[in-house]
Amino acid sequence: MGEGVFISGLGLISAIGNNVAEAYHHLSNAKTGIGKINHLQTRYKDEYVLGEVKLSNNDLMDFISHHSPLLNRTSLLGIAAAREAVLHSGIDLKDGLRTGLISSTTVAGMCKTELFFNDMIEKNEHLEILDTHDCGESTEEIADYLGVKDYVTTISTACSSAANAIMLGSRMIKHGMLDRVIVGGVDSLSKFTFNGFNTLMILDKEWCKPFDENRKGLNLGEAGAFVVIESESALKKRNGKALAQVMGYANTNDAYHQTASSPDGSGATKAIQLALQMSGLNASQIDYINMHGTGTPNNDLSESKAAINVFGNNVPKFSSTKSFTGHTLAAAAGVEAVISILSILNNKIFPNLNFTTPISEFKLTPVTKVTDAEIKNVLSNSFGFGGNCSSLIFSKV
Amino acid sequence: MDALIEKLKGQIIEQLNLVEVKPADIKPDAPLFGEGLGLDSIDALELIVLLEKHYGIKIQNPADGKKIFESVRTMAEFIKSNGKD
Amino acid sequence: MTKKAYIIGSGSISPQNTIDENWFFEKINPVHIDFFSALEPSYKEHIAPNMLRRMGRAIKMGVTAANMAVVDAKVQNVDAIISGTGLGCFEDSEKFLLAIINNKEQFLTPTSFIQSTHNTVGSQIALIMKCYDYNFTYVHRGFSFETCVMDALMQMEEGKQTILIGGIEEHTPMYVELLRRSKKFSSNNSHQYYEGKTKGIQMGEGSTFFVLSDTKKNACSCIEGISFSYKPKSTEEILSAITNLLKTHQTSLEKIDVVLMGFSGDQQFDNYLLELLPQVSKTSATAHFKQLCGEYHTAGAFGTWVANKIIEKQNVPEAIKINSLTKSTINTVLIINAYMGINYSFTLLSKC
Repeated sequence: MGEGVFISGLGLISAIGNNVAEAYHHLSNAKTGIGKINHLQTRYKDEYVLGEVKLSNNDLMDFISHHSPLLNRTSLLGIAAAREAVLHSGIDLKDGLRTGLISSTTVAGMCKTELFFNDMIEKNEHLEILDTHDCGESTEEIADYLGVKDYVTTISTACSSAANAIMLGSRMIKHGMLDRVIVGGVDSLSKFTFNGFNTLMILDKEWCKPFDENRKGLNLGEAGAFVVIESESALKKRNGKALAQVMGYANTNDAYHQTASSPDGSGATKAIQLALQMSGLNASQIDYINMHGTGTPNNDLSESKAAINVFGNNVPKFSSTKSFTGHTLAAAAGVEAVISILSILNNKIFPNLNFTTPISEFKLTPVTKVTDAEIKNVLSNSFGFGGNCSSLIFSKV
Repeated sequence: MDALIEKLKGQIIEQLNLVEVKPADIKPDAPLFGEGLGLDSIDALELIVLLEKHYGIKIQNPADGKKIFESVRTMAEFIKSNGKD
Repeated sequence: MTKKAYIIGSGSISPQNTIDENWFFEKINPVHIDFFSALEPSYKEHIAPNMLRRMGRAIKMGVTAANMAVVDAKVQNVDAIISGTGLGCFEDSEKFLLAIINNKEQFLTPTSFIQSTHNTVGSQIALIMKCYDYNFTYVHRGFSFETCVMDALMQMEEGKQTILIGGIEEHTPMYVELLRRSKKFSSNNSHQYYEGKTKGIQMGEGSTFFVLSDTKKNACSCIEGISFSYKPKSTEEILSAITNLLKTHQTSLEKIDVVLMGFSGDQQFDNYLLELLPQVSKTSATAHFKQLCGEYHTAGAFGTWVANKIIEKQNVPEAIKINSLTKSTINTVLIINAYMGINYSFTLLSKC
């Protein structure tokens, strides 16, 4: 059904740099961005590591040349990444083609609300922040900054959010509802999510070790990550250049537990299978899997099982790049879409850092060094609270 | 020990918001998870906080909860053995 | 898109007596000072005690309204669950945030954090129904529910047959108090929002779900199409969006039987809709709905419930009428909804 969907621009701000070029430099030098806490105000500052964006909020306002006291960190990161994606693609938002923005977030305005909630209650101050608390806020700030008018919406499906934004955007193009869409996600670090994950006891105090037998949990991160997707005809009309094609996607629900993934990986298995089916590719044609790979005992077990369910003894080369960026929640699938496309463009697999021992039940070993290989088709997985499982397939053009 | 068990029952009901359960419904040796009260992994994390908040005991590895939270009696024994009743 | 989404079941928890399936605007509940609270059912009949003990109000309202819709539709399962919420599970967010502040990040428990996630309602419904399929949650202000409608229409086109969609919003005493202090609330008693003389909003809450089917069987009405306008700069821009939508569905504004308006009650946000009203009132029966449910991100779900009832009963109830025009048969209802002068949506329903 419908036209082919192509990716024509990338934008990323994360712990591994303020743009895609910086991210590529970190990735191809196996240099993580996760480290000591600088910005987040928490009593656990010296106990944990995080994947923070290195710029402060003031630096970010300078970076995007837009100063407004009401802009929260989520909006700032979103604007920075979406702007880069649009500039990279070379699209002209005023050329009459229909352009949409589909963003996603979980933290939304909480990064600011949490700092001033007490003042609102006790002192009647900062009440204007209430209007910027919801998830739609950052999306509309990005849309207004860029001048997107034709369509805006926001998705929040926990850690699979940005994958679903890419999926909805692709579907809208195929249905002929839009010509191109800026899709992705953004989450800033907040005390709220940091403490939330801490209560679940799934934070590793040191660098996370995805797919390692002795993995202890995840490192949280923050990022804005967007890609521009276009219909084939929109791309032709402006003589644009495609970086990769969106070949397959699927969204399923594990319906097993509110937070945990099923031990048999059934939801993830089904998502991967359906995405493969849509792409028309055989399992053996997948050259690399960018795993969800949070580093928690539960996720990596369930995801390994799913990989074996689908690929049997021939699990493709894989890695979790959350060892570079931390788990950036709603933005994660956007970050990993950018990384997957960098893999395709550069024929490189970026490693799974901090790995030493395979999980005893599966003996699966990720790629641990920057590796050159012909990369035509990449599978990218993203799973989240509430059983949300999403898989995407990107292919070389 | 019995007094501690009774106190724990009340604290468990409150912490887990078990509105339909009375202290007498919880047998000291009945399993808290799976069958019995039907608690799950999220409740286990709640119980870890209960021990920290009311008894000052910190459990670092959630996997340790499995043995400690077998029943109300095992919880009480664990508290005693930590000298924190 | 050519497929229609037939409404085969609905469930609504609102400030009105919608939990009684036979209620049709007989008795109207007044606003509570400056906000509306939902009239909640006994949740025990809908949710197992072991799940209920953890749930905040938004989750209870959402899961129950979804259950009501599924029971009404007499279906066992659905092919997709699509939820919309502007603020998500606010009670749980507030609880966890206050615990962080008051306990200085210590002795925190996971339950309220887990439940505060925006997709909790959609995922709890999936857990209860054992629905392993498509599950999405939209969280974009006044587009949250309406994007569910759009997605459902796309899913129908892609081959799905039965889809559960709904909108959920809750308020807490603290949130109401903070809004009151920021002077967003109305102090007037008039509910004649369409006269354009009222200021401030009366906040509301509720949850409304629908089971949509790709076949006509057991349906009175269907959703034909939806379109959006983001921050329009003039009434003409809105009118052109409406005209385009209607043209796609081989109709025009003059042929619409009932236009259901989503006035917020605050004239500063309602100005475009107020300008539009005389034009649509010439040929269509006009009515409005937010004086019954209050203003909130997903009030459009309640509006859709009202539109569906109007077609089912072939009657525009007195309580919501704006003009006195009557139609012998109500074949089409157009909902013109707006949130804070930012998010405009247009939904076309028809009799089937």
